[in-house]
Amino acid sequence: MPQSVPSMPALLTAAVKYLEEDLFPALTGYHRFQTRVTINVLNIIRRELEMRGAQSAAERTRLRTLVGRDGDTETLSHELSKLIRQGAIDLNDANLRTHLRQSLADALAINNPKWLKP
Amino acid sequence: MSSDEFSVRLAAALARHTGKPAKLHDVQRLTGGANRTTMSFDAEAGGQRRQLILQLGMQTADPASAIEPEITPEQQARVMIAAARAGAPAPRVVAILEPADGLGEGYITERVAGETLGPRIIRDERFAAARRLMARQCGEILAAIHRIDLAEAPFLARLDAAEHVAAHRKLADYYGFRLPALELALRWAAENLPRNQRQTVVHGDFRTGNLIVGEEGIRCVLDWELAQGGDPMQDLGWLCVKTWRFGGTEPVGGFGSREDLFAAYERAGGHPVAPEQVKFWEAFGNVKWAIYCLRLGMRGVDEVSIERSAIGRRIEEPLWDFFNLIEGRE
Repeated sequence: MPQSVPSMPALLTAAVKYLEEDLFPALTGYHRFQTRVTINVLNIIRRELEMRGAQSAAERTRLRTLVGRDGDTETLSHELSKLIRQGAIDLNDANLRTHLRQSLADALAINNPKWLKP
Repeated sequence: MSSDEFSVRLAAALARHTGKPAKLHDVQRLTGGANRTTMSFDAEAGGQRRQLILQLGMQTADPASAIEPEITPEQQARVMIAAARAGAPAPRVVAILEPADGLGEGYITERVAGETLGPRIIRDERFAAARRLMARQCGEILAAIHRIDLAEAPFLARLDAAEHVAAHRKLADYYGFRLPALELALRWAAENLPRNQRQTVVHGDFRTGNLIVGEEGIRCVLDWELAQGGDPMQDLGWLCVKTWRFGGTEPVGGFGSREDLFAAYERAGGHPVAPEQVKFWEAFGNVKWAIYCLRLGMRGVDEVSIERSAIGRRIEEPLWDFFNLIEGRE
């Protein structure tokens, strides 16, 4: 059970609903634009809260194979960056490419899901 | 400085540089940031009203400016004058400010009416005919810019592809940001440098968003502050970067085909186009934009607007496009 309810994503959804459906249509000019930006930012936070946990766990599993040791996702990701930079891993390595594409797709699913559509 | 005092100084500067005293109307700030201000105004003299733009700028302490050097307002004006002489539609320079003008660094140009916003240029029905012409026009304009004698702009930094890659590597290191996809892209760029680079004047930021467009096509090319000496193919590649298509389906700026761009460029006297070399610059253009996103993201929300700061969250877009491009998925 979460410590408090409603959950963070649920609260953000309600806040965005107000901004998008009630406030935004009534605005013009500067505030209309800034409110659009604010809605986008809140949606990014909501999607990160909802998705990042599972993404990070899967990323860690992929990184363990690529880096050849264990650690948390961030540490292993830094380690992979270092290996790429040092030339210790082939740029055309199929597993590497698959991993990087998946990680980018994960981040885009949070930051701008529209970018993934062809 | 009060706005009255500002207008008095502006009128005096205009009179001094043009030799014609004029009455100013509609002095208004169009955009303004920490280091750049654009103002629009009309100058009335002898019954005629001239539409003008004042561009003020100054050098900032941004770590990136040392790596990708922005030229001073005076230098921008000099490049625009040379570009206009070579046949490119650069803004017509009316005056270059001097210290005695008391307005800071900047210049005055004629004001060109038209649309600059990418999404409107790419989507609006009224630009449909213009869009069909614009890839060819871009080819012709770039051929003209690349014809400018580098000796006319001796102050321009000269960078080849290897130096561009090294400068961006340094910038990523400066921020200490480690993203495996970015590391791969930087290494790919360093290992795939184009072989036969030339060195000409390049615009440095030639893309949808920096063009003034009318219903008949491109009217003017703006934003010359990244002008430099380098491989001319970089201007062609940058114009194709997916971010600058603003949702348009066509590869060149969202409005045209590479074939039209390349053919028009060569026909207009541009250098022979090697599509693979343009592709390198498009791929590296994605890396440049990714690092620009990083710069904005690292500057923090209290320093820049929430809108600019949130661009940091766009870093994966160009990296995704980079992989699609080098893996031939486009």
